[in-house]
Amino acid sequence: MNAIYGLFPDADSARRALKALRAASSRLHLNPKAIVIMSSEPLEEEGFGWEQERTLMPWLAPLGALVGGAAGYALSAFTQRSYPLPTGGMPIVAMWPTGIIMYELTMLGAILTTIVAFVIATGLPNYKKRLYDPEVTNGKILVGISELDSDCRAELEQLLYRDGAEQVKEFSNG
Amino acid sequence: MAHKWGMVIDLDRCTGCEACVAACHAENNIATVNADQAAKGRTMHWIHVERYWEGEFPNIRARFQPVLCQQCDAAPCEPVCPTYASYHNPEGLNAQVYNRCIGTRYCANACPYSVRYFNWFNPAWDKPLHLQLNPDVSVREVGVMEKCTFCNQRILAAEIKAKAENRELQDDEVKPACVQSCPPTAMVFGDLNDPNSQVSRMSGSVRATTLLEEVGTLPKVTYLGRESSHGNE
Amino acid sequence: MNNAAQANVIDFTPEKIRKDLLLPVFHTSRRYYALVIALVAIGLPGMFVYLYQMSEGMGVAGITRPVFWGFYITNFVFWIGISHAGTLISAILRLVNATWRRPVTRCAEAITVFALAIGAQYPIIHLGRAWLFFWLIPYPSERGIWPNFRSPLVWDFFAITTYLTGSMAFLLLPIIPDWAMVRDRATGVRKRIYTVLALGWRGTPREWHRLEVAMRIMAVTILPVAISVHTIVSWDFAMAPVPMWHSTVFGPYFVAGAIFSGIAALIIVMALVRKALHLEEYLKPLHFDNLGKLLLVMSLLWIYFIIAERLTVWYGNEPAEMAAFWSIQRGRFAVLFWTMVCCNFLIPFPILAIKKLRTIAGTVIASSTVVVGMWLERFLIVVPPLEHKYLPYDWGHYSPTWVEITITVGTCMGMILLYVLFAKFVPIISIWELKGPQHAKPIAVTANATLSPAAIRLDNTLPSTNS
Repeated sequence: MNAIYGLFPDADSARRALKALRAASSRLHLNPKAIVIMSSEPLEEEGFGWEQERTLMPWLAPLGALVGGAAGYALSAFTQRSYPLPTGGMPIVAMWPTGIIMYELTMLGAILTTIVAFVIATGLPNYKKRLYDPEVTNGKILVGISELDSDCRAELEQLLYRDGAEQVKEFSNG
Repeated sequence: MAHKWGMVIDLDRCTGCEACVAACHAENNIATVNADQAAKGRTMHWIHVERYWEGEFPNIRARFQPVLCQQCDAAPCEPVCPTYASYHNPEGLNAQVYNRCIGTRYCANACPYSVRYFNWFNPAWDKPLHLQLNPDVSVREVGVMEKCTFCNQRILAAEIKAKAENRELQDDEVKPACVQSCPPTAMVFGDLNDPNSQVSRMSGSVRATTLLEEVGTLPKVTYLGRESSHGNE
Repeated sequence: MNNAAQANVIDFTPEKIRKDLLLPVFHTSRRYYALVIALVAIGLPGMFVYLYQMSEGMGVAGITRPVFWGFYITNFVFWIGISHAGTLISAILRLVNATWRRPVTRCAEAITVFALAIGAQYPIIHLGRAWLFFWLIPYPSERGIWPNFRSPLVWDFFAITTYLTGSMAFLLLPIIPDWAMVRDRATGVRKRIYTVLALGWRGTPREWHRLEVAMRIMAVTILPVAISVHTIVSWDFAMAPVPMWHSTVFGPYFVAGAIFSGIAALIIVMALVRKALHLEEYLKPLHFDNLGKLLLVMSLLWIYFIIAERLTVWYGNEPAEMAAFWSIQRGRFAVLFWTMVCCNFLIPFPILAIKKLRTIAGTVIASSTVVVGMWLERFLIVVPPLEHKYLPYDWGHYSPTWVEITITVGTCMGMILLYVLFAKFVPIISIWELKGPQHAKPIAVTANATLSPAAIRLDNTLPSTNS
């Protein structure tokens, strides 16, 4: 994969560059999905596409909670009924303690589902050599395009510099 | 019908001699503790005679009462044990499974009668006293709760014998060590499910009360109160 | 803009922020090594004493019949209570969008995780046969052992496991971007370690978005868990028919007390971290002021619960309960009781209520007394009712032995050590959260402001638009 990217000192210049890249991508037959942004803090401002981010996580968590609740019920009720111990007249499966166990495992289900969903949705951990620049954690915003056609290289480099990039670099992991 | 073991203690007959305490120790392999530990409150008398002083000198009276595990029908020690070491067996006894006990001591806190005892150390008997241990009763190790079992080993032995001989258990066939050793025969033990047993009949006496009735534990030990002591000042 | 407002703004360049907050991770002073060695030296005997207790038997501790629970259960409830700090700060303040919480969240969340880890040791430490603690875990066993779900101790196990898992996720997920920051600056072995820890984080919008969503879900989930945890811990007592334990108020009473002691612990930790890591410009007087106000509210709530509980017991005049009641208020425990009231209310209330006194030093003094007072409160809940149960012949006394004291000190040192190690390997203030996310619209600077556009306002006021 060949990529070219610019490091921008602030959100304004990065936003301009992003806009220009998006405009240029149709003209230069580039895949708009290959545009990458990286930053050291979440970019929730307009122009960075935060509103278009969609995830199933808020739906998965209640689902995980239901699974957890069912697991709690299974743990208390099925196991105690399968191996009934003498309880001196008390019910084998008591409602309130079962309820408490179900409650705790419901919440645990939601928590574990969120963690797993986070891991899957972000694709972390991923230690492969990927497009990245340590300057990102120095506060720079990285805006670039990752499927690079070598013809457009010069034009893209110019575009990035024009919109305020401090540096323009290339990346290849081929 | 299954048995439901109960006990009646006639406080009018009880002299406070504590023969029951000694007999219980002998029968159930209960450890004795030294004076320092006793001062700390760590004696292990599964049955002990509680004594209260009433009145002012010269009209002092001692009131005493043997207190043992009441084998409650609604035992507060049972729901709280996390490992089911304390459970209600089909014959109505509150059984303690030593092997399941991990020593949280929650049952002891929950017991309103404080009749549960904990093994603070590994019990030890200097030779040759180890020879007097009862082989029918397990010796508990450190960290395990124990308490009166109504001499379950004697109950089981009698039941096995009766079954082998193909007959029912007789009323006075089972006697826990304390009942057996009581000189004025103040203690009676038997099957509460048998309306003709001595225990059932004596439980219906006008003098019958239970200890800490208001806590609602439904104990199966009934105390027959002392007759009003007009001659006994 | 006047100086007071200026004091509540973090107005530095991002480079300065990164440098200040990453410094402890990269530089280890001799003082640090000395501190770690000191903590280990004081705390390690506790572990050996615990092994001694396991081999000799619980008899080496001061617990006896009828006081079968003593210091260990007191410490257990105390530490679980302290662990409610992080939840309140992180989850509730996150949900209500209080920006001032940002430098404080990681401090608080770390307290939660470590206090829980320490607190969860105590149910094992206090067991008679501690090596069999795993019988509380439901696992298939050919011996037919299965936990009794009716027991509040089993509920404890589930609740604390859930809370520990949730708090660890709550703490660790937002650390990933900061670990990425360390990774990019580190060299050598450190770089390799942090490369692994950072999980390959790059900072793409997808990663940030998923992280934010995960944190929001976790914040909503962790709150009910925290409340349930301390309620269930309180039910260890309330479910037993012991005079003065068997009270319906215990659930809310304990949760309020937990949040109370948690905030106090947080204030103390924040003040220490601030001093030790030279973070005076990040942990501002505003933070202590706001937390001090919260502490004041909790102190009032605490005194309300104390009065409510004790008044009803006294009015009901049940003989068994009154024995315990008077022993606490006038008898053997009177000194401890009145010390507790002073520490939890009489001293903190004026300090926290009077604005002039609600300085950093003031809140730290108030918090220190609160922490002591809350430990005493746990002790007075556990021990005096057990000393006076229903049958007076069986009343007893409890006095702790050196074994219990050593183990208590050991776990205390363990907690501090965990925290100190944490501050070394993780930036104690969340760098990315401190700087962003900014508002959906770019921050407009007020007309007469002297702040740079990147300044972060901590007083949560919306800036007026540029004229």
